[in-house]
Amino acid sequence: MSDPTRDRGGFSRRAVTIGGGIAVALGLTAVGVTVPRLFGKHYRKSPYDDLLAQLIDRDAAAKVGKAALQGGGIFPDPADLARELRGRLERRSLADVTASDLDQSNLVEVRGWVLPQTLVLLSVLAAEQDG
Amino acid sequence: MNAFIDARTVPAGTVLAPDLAIIGGGPAGITLALALAQTPLSIMLFESGGLDFDAATQALYAGSSTGVTYLPLDASRMRYLGGSTNHWGGWCKPFDAIDFERRNWVAHSGWPFGIKELEPYFARAQSLVEAGAWRYDEATTAMTAIAPPLKLAPGGVYTSWFQFSKQRGSVLPTHFGERYGDDLKRIANLKLFLHANATALKLSANAAGLETIEIAALGGHRFTVKPKRAVLALGAVENARLMLASGGVGNQNDLVGRYFADHPIPRDTATLVSFSGEMAGYYFNSVQAAGALIRATYAPTDAFKRKARVLGSLTTVENPVELNELDKAAIVTAALALGADASNARAFSLGCGLELEPDPERRLTLTGEKDALGLPRLKLSNRVSNADFQRYRDTIKELGRQILAAGSGMLRLNYDSRSAWEAALDWGDHHLGTTRMHVDPKQGVVDANSQIHGIANLYVAGSGVFPTYSASNPTLNLVALTLRLAEHLKRLPA
Repeated sequence: MSDPTRDRGGFSRRAVTIGGGIAVALGLTAVGVTVPRLFGKHYRKSPYDDLLAQLIDRDAAAKVGKAALQGGGIFPDPADLARELRGRLERRSLADVTASDLDQSNLVEVRGWVLPQTLVLLSVLAAEQDG
Repeated sequence: MNAFIDARTVPAGTVLAPDLAIIGGGPAGITLALALAQTPLSIMLFESGGLDFDAATQALYAGSSTGVTYLPLDASRMRYLGGSTNHWGGWCKPFDAIDFERRNWVAHSGWPFGIKELEPYFARAQSLVEAGAWRYDEATTAMTAIAPPLKLAPGGVYTSWFQFSKQRGSVLPTHFGERYGDDLKRIANLKLFLHANATALKLSANAAGLETIEIAALGGHRFTVKPKRAVLALGAVENARLMLASGGVGNQNDLVGRYFADHPIPRDTATLVSFSGEMAGYYFNSVQAAGALIRATYAPTDAFKRKARVLGSLTTVENPVELNELDKAAIVTAALALGADASNARAFSLGCGLELEPDPERRLTLTGEKDALGLPRLKLSNRVSNADFQRYRDTIKELGRQILAAGSGMLRLNYDSRSAWEAALDWGDHHLGTTRMHVDPKQGVVDANSQIHGIANLYVAGSGVFPTYSASNPTLNLVALTLRLAEHLKRLPA
């Protein structure tokens, strides 16, 4: 009877996001997008795994982060970046912070893609760890 | 029916003396003649070309340009009855109220009047361009009933609507010469001359009035017109040329030919992704709805124009595009972060038309080279400022923010350098601004009634009088402005 996605009688936000994320990623195979591994790719442990766990497709995010770094953007070193991100994500989900960035026009361009700043910072952290 | 008169049959040395001479048979000249039908005025309209394209006549338009690459001057307009409506795409959109304002972030902006001056003429103008029922920004409900528009979060860009001139089978929109030729023949107080080129304007000794206009046909035939009043309706380029070639008519303040503008149309300025993959057909093509042919466009709101200090722009969705690995990674990353379903995502290129800031150094001047009738040819010094590109980039970046905030898609800006913008540049063939309107003769060639400052009986019609240009396509608006001029002329004493 137990449903691993259920939490206190309803869907937890985290579970829904992950479930939705997998569905999205699976669907994108139709247009040739890399699929995140369902059973978890093993990444080298890092002091920032609590943050990087927010990324449902860490490989895709790392590509974005790498492009941001190659694009000449100036970003803090990983420790400072992580401190900044923990401050932003401590009590709020990535989806909420992303929405807030968009509302406030906190945007970064990565190879022309208009992206929320926090998402790009997290992607840069992923690129630095997975480099 | 008054048959059109071939100017080559008019005896040399003839002096014609109409109440009103209209020089040019494009949309402005034809609109003016139609609007003044059945008035007591005796009217003569002089058109350079015939009823069809003729290479020798078209070659009279040839000129040169420097600076930012521009279309050949003899390719960006048409010289026969109907003028440039003969290659018109039929895109219609009225000016917005803000287009008339003096905007403190737009140098040389401000019309002598507001949109309310033009509004009474829009219905008739819409009818003349045959663009169906007046919908434009009221079209949203009808279009949403066909298919939902791509959702945008609140912000500085909104979904607006073009309308299109009537299409007849495979024939492109209303060609004024073809469409209104028979109507013109039925106007009892009009004589229309074909193959009649104005080659000189001659003013009175005190330069306060037009005395005569010299007319020539290819082959050497010449005669004179001595009208009570005249309206130059040759298009923004040729009006300036004739005025400059006639010793600088209206050019006492060195303004004639300055402030030239067109709408830059850079291609593939951005890539728009629809997470759902759905984009209604009306983004790509005009769709018949609510009594009109309608196509969607993205436009900045007035509030955003003020806040972000941008000018007008109209962005259209063009063609499907392929994505590379980084593009796909960006889509996955953004969609997952927002909890959006991008499993059927598709991408499309965006195109646009931009409003330029008025620039006195973007100008037409005469050269030493002459055409077959002895008129000096023109040189266009063309410029587009970095700020003009940046303002548009700011606008579509805001569009990207709104799409992503709505969770409906995202956007990539494709150009971030001047060279990239210039490489993608095309033009609208919309000649604007060379005889700009201003109440102050030191800032404009014509006054609020389109009369050339200081010359009591000489007027200019067409988009050359626009002091600022809007992003809206000019034809509908210049027709409305010409109808306003017609009302002014009707009120003048005989």
